[in-house]
Amino acid sequence: MNRMLAVARNTFRESVRDKVLYVLLFFAGVTIFGSKALGWISIGQDIKIVKDIALAAISLFGVLIAIFVGTSLVYKEIDKRTLYTIITQPMHRYEFILGKYLGLMGLLLAVTAIMTGVSAVYVLLLGGGLDAMFFLAILLIYWKLLLVTAFAVLLSALTSPILGAIIVFSVYAFGHATGVFRDLPPQFDGTVAKQVLEIAYYLIPNLSNFDIRAEAANGVPVAPAYVAWVLVYGLAYTAALLILAALAFEDKDV
Amino acid sequence: MSAIVTRELGKVYRAVGRTQMRALEAVDLNVREGEVYGFLGRNGAGKTTTIKILCSLLRPTSGEAFVLGENARTRKARGLIGYLPEQPYFYEYLTPRETIDFYARLQGLDAAARAREWEKLAGMLDLRGIADQRVKGFSKGMRQRLGFAVALVGDPPILILDEPMSGLDPLGRRSIRELILWMRDAKKTLFFSSHVLGDVEQICDRVGILVRGRLTHEGRLDELLGEQVKQVEIIVAGLSPEAARPLAARAVSHRTLDELDAFLVDGQDAANDLVRAVHGAGGRLVEFSPVRKSLEDYFIEAQEKDKAS
Repeated sequence: MNRMLAVARNTFRESVRDKVLYVLLFFAGVTIFGSKALGWISIGQDIKIVKDIALAAISLFGVLIAIFVGTSLVYKEIDKRTLYTIITQPMHRYEFILGKYLGLMGLLLAVTAIMTGVSAVYVLLLGGGLDAMFFLAILLIYWKLLLVTAFAVLLSALTSPILGAIIVFSVYAFGHATGVFRDLPPQFDGTVAKQVLEIAYYLIPNLSNFDIRAEAANGVPVAPAYVAWVLVYGLAYTAALLILAALAFEDKDV
Repeated sequence: MSAIVTRELGKVYRAVGRTQMRALEAVDLNVREGEVYGFLGRNGAGKTTTIKILCSLLRPTSGEAFVLGENARTRKARGLIGYLPEQPYFYEYLTPRETIDFYARLQGLDAAARAREWEKLAGMLDLRGIADQRVKGFSKGMRQRLGFAVALVGDPPILILDEPMSGLDPLGRRSIRELILWMRDAKKTLFFSSHVLGDVEQICDRVGILVRGRLTHEGRLDELLGEQVKQVEIIVAGLSPEAARPLAARAVSHRTLDELDAFLVDGQDAANDLVRAVHGAGGRLVEFSPVRKSLEDYFIEAQEKDKAS
């Protein structure tokens, strides 16, 4: 555990130096503050719009950070050859992968906390109120980021950052529309395409499960059982992806 | 017990859409405990591949590697090895103090042991003056020193060094050479690859020569080079220039040094003949030194033999 934490600490320290992080945080800020402009055209709904856009910004920019930093995580270590002296230490390779993941989890926690803080202060300054639903929505966004990050780390152990980013982003996009794969028009019945898409439906996590943005913006409560189920759902996918990442890295020639 | 053993070690690199590349072929190494072993070969001969297999960065395609009896792929084996890669890279934003602390954490050392490790290594490798500077601005020599310190974290009995002197200036090379000798005195086993033959000749007990993935020669330096006296230098006194002239005609080269004459002769028999002639001409033998084949000669011969076959 100590070895994992040492890797995690370093990963965190390294990733906070990544310039991409600050560019993305800047645009997240612009989006959150810009949400007021949309609020003006929806009279009486401005706080709801600001909350909705702020949550969307936290989700989108969080995912972009997870993808850009996550997919280059292991690749960069191989490319810069810093990995050589690390995995030749008396540690398991999975400790390295999990340590990298933990470091990134920490980074995303910090980034989500900053974006949450900025959004909350902005909503309060605009005269709006904050409730538990707002923060619950952010918890589920963070949970989704953990899943996406695990996928990014898996691809980081397998392929180049650019290809990895494209794949993770595609899965992210499809993950918000998995229903499309299942609810195909009847003319697809009996075709190979239907079978392939059905497999994709079961393989790709349904990321819209983590999305309770509309409920949070409108103050509509969500059943605790649903939240618990989503948390378990996310954990199961994340654990499976991390096991795959560890297995992919175990015998990798570096 | 042998420190490092490989049996029929082979490695084939396969890449999608490209032809296979055989980097190692049935390499049988046997490095004894406490010896300094020089692993020689030209660029691309397979030295780094072998080292990476020993350090479990690569998986062999065939054969096995053992470190003090442990399979090289195990965590226990990694704990017995200190590894210095060619041109080591470390996190640029860390300082040497933080770097050593990080690696000591990876070894599972507690805070007190980590502090002791830093004190010991900083003194040994002269890191105190740069303790809190970021690695980012370090020269090659400084990185190499830090690399050595990292390899020594946890006091492993075996050190595997990949081209430890490559890219260093003569002063840097000397300090690494001294470190290696120091490690030898500390009873560590040193396995290092190099193509700087002069360095190897000065510090190795045994060498192995790798030619295109195959270990073509292995042995003690004196075994490999010792018996093959190539030329003999004979220094004599008391010869007149007239007496020296016909003798010079029998030698490969002749020079006069103050009152002395130095002859270089091919082979031991010719040297004995010349000494007899020197005595006959009234000269006196001052020095008779066989010029042994250098490691470089041996190395080039090994490459040429392989090319011819």
